[in-house]
Amino acid sequence: MLSLEKVTKRYAGHTAVEDLSLVVEPGVIYGLLGPNGAGKTTTIRMTMGIIEPDEGTIRLFDEPFSEKSKERIGYLPEERGLYRKMKVLDHLVFLGAIKGLPSQAAAARARRWLERVELADWADKPVEALSKGMQQKVQFVSTILHEPRLVILDEPFSGLDPLNTQLLMDIIVAMKNDGITLILSTHLMDQVEKLCGRICLIDRGRKVLDGKLDEIKRRFGHNVVSIRVPGGRAVFESHPAVAAVRETGRDLALTLNDGFDPGEILRHALGRGPVERFEIGEMSLHDIFIAQVRERGAGPDA
Amino acid sequence: MRKLVAVMRREYLERVRKKSFLVGTILGPLLMGLMIFAPALMMRFSPEQQAGIAVIDLTGSIYAQVEAALGDTLADGTPMFRLREERAGVEDVEQVRRRLGAEVEHDALDGYIVIPADILETGAAVYYGKRLGDIKAIERVTSALSNVVIGMRLASRGVEYGEIRELVSRVKLETMQIKGGGREQEGGFDLIFFSSFLFIMMLYMTILMWGIAVQRSIIEDKNSRVIEVLLSSLRPADLMFGKIFGVGAVGLTQYAIWGILGVLMAIYGLALGGQAALAAQSLSPATLGFFVLYYLLGFLFYATMFAAIGAVCNTDQEAQQMQTPIVLCLAFTILVPMIVIQRPDSGFATVVSLIPFFTPIVMFMRINVLMPPVWQIALSVAIMVVAVWATGHLAAKIFRTGILMYGKKPDAREILRWLRRA
Repeated sequence: MLSLEKVTKRYAGHTAVEDLSLVVEPGVIYGLLGPNGAGKTTTIRMTMGIIEPDEGTIRLFDEPFSEKSKERIGYLPEERGLYRKMKVLDHLVFLGAIKGLPSQAAAARARRWLERVELADWADKPVEALSKGMQQKVQFVSTILHEPRLVILDEPFSGLDPLNTQLLMDIIVAMKNDGITLILSTHLMDQVEKLCGRICLIDRGRKVLDGKLDEIKRRFGHNVVSIRVPGGRAVFESHPAVAAVRETGRDLALTLNDGFDPGEILRHALGRGPVERFEIGEMSLHDIFIAQVRERGAGPDA
Repeated sequence: MRKLVAVMRREYLERVRKKSFLVGTILGPLLMGLMIFAPALMMRFSPEQQAGIAVIDLTGSIYAQVEAALGDTLADGTPMFRLREERAGVEDVEQVRRRLGAEVEHDALDGYIVIPADILETGAAVYYGKRLGDIKAIERVTSALSNVVIGMRLASRGVEYGEIRELVSRVKLETMQIKGGGREQEGGFDLIFFSSFLFIMMLYMTILMWGIAVQRSIIEDKNSRVIEVLLSSLRPADLMFGKIFGVGAVGLTQYAIWGILGVLMAIYGLALGGQAALAAQSLSPATLGFFVLYYLLGFLFYATMFAAIGAVCNTDQEAQQMQTPIVLCLAFTILVPMIVIQRPDSGFATVVSLIPFFTPIVMFMRINVLMPPVWQIALSVAIMVVAVWATGHLAAKIFRTGILMYGKKPDAREILRWLRRA
């Protein structure tokens, strides 16, 4: 569907993306993760042909990028923008038209989609009359109106309430089930864990890790214990098996050193008092993300 | 192409649907006409007032003649001047002047004249007044006094002034403009100047206004971040030219509305006859055709440059700095009409009218005043087409790189690098 091979993009003074290779298989939801300034937006813009890479090749739909390719991509940029004075329906028809969609078809589809995202009554209102969340939904509709094969969503949930977040997630999953490929760039690791089959983590322009989410979690997540004890973190102070303690609400998340058995932790805790909750868990993507980026930050790259 | 049309359509409809478009279209020429004609109208219709003037006649013998020479009346029949003689000798003239000065200060009097005893020799007198801007009154006093003095000088040599005046009376020259095909048309400098000036002011305003509208529109897209969605859908050049053509079409719509209004007014003017009919006749279809042609060429030429500026700037303020040289080029053409209108076929006018920055307005002006050779018109159009192609080409290159730059504004050296690389 999409492949980047040894792609590099430099701006005056710094390298935004360096030697980045990745492959997005068709029909998946692909998570593109990374801290602020990691090069995600630059990567996306190169994918869309908005900017050209200095080195490396990008292939879309198994062919070199062409103007025509743009019509098969839908893009929801992180920084949203609509013409404030334009009427919602007119706006959607316009954005459809520049994707090559005839206006009649665009109008019919736009009405259907507005119905679906519960904005049917707003079709003839100017964009500026809509709340931020509503505008967000309009922009989302504009992203998929032309039935793209590849949809790139940059922080699609920011600013949405839980109901609308769920609505959007349902649509995203439905699209995936229809065989559409989605690239999701977000900082919300919960959403990534719920939606993405594959992820790629980049930091300072370079790929840190990529692959199937399950495999990555298996690779990193075998040595985490979640435990709730009245004594708090003091119970595990200076225990040889515990590499790190992190408080997550009322629970403690313990990262174990390699080669230690979680059962040993339980026995240790029971020896100090009651245990209200114990779970051998995977390391959350959140923790993997932080660990990976921190580790690199301390390395020679920093 | 279809995408370009979509951008153009949006740009056009969103502007034309606004109420302010219709209001501006109709009020624009009215205001412009007012601006041009207002000084003349104000001169003509300024409320006339009687001027109270005292005369200190140190010759002691010419006051009566001066009074007779200033017998003008105002429009309503009352005398223009309220004159009064102040008798004074050389000894007490300063005292009288102080008294009159006080009167002028308290507005009991507009001013006073001191006619020295030796006026026939020196030919000089002094008018003292608070408001020296009443040119018309001062002009009259000057000429009346001159006539009296001239008359007396002549009389002292035994010549009758009335006779001389008859002999030296000026010739009245009527002006007729020779149009093609042996037609001759009554019309003077005023008519040509004002109709040409109204036309070129409209050309100037529309080129400037809609050119900057393109620039604004691009900056607005950048600021509202719509730009990113747009660029993920179409080529930068489609966006830029779509905007330019859309806004240009708005200007054309304006011209169409003016054309219709103009024809209606011309029909009305012909029906009225007299001066109005003359003015109506000066609006030939050919003139209107060139008007639209030079608007289009001028707009495209300037709008592409404004578009490039819009692409590299983030705010209107930034853009204002960069656009200044271009706006000055356009404004320069407003300064040359006086020269061109006097010698429309001079070398200067010919050269200036073939420089793309000035062609649209200056060539149109020449056509309006005195039809230049056809080859010059054709050459000007050809030069403009090439110039538009060149600026469009360069602007598209700058646009492509500049449009996604936020933050620091690129300097001239950086823009040159883009042009070389692209």
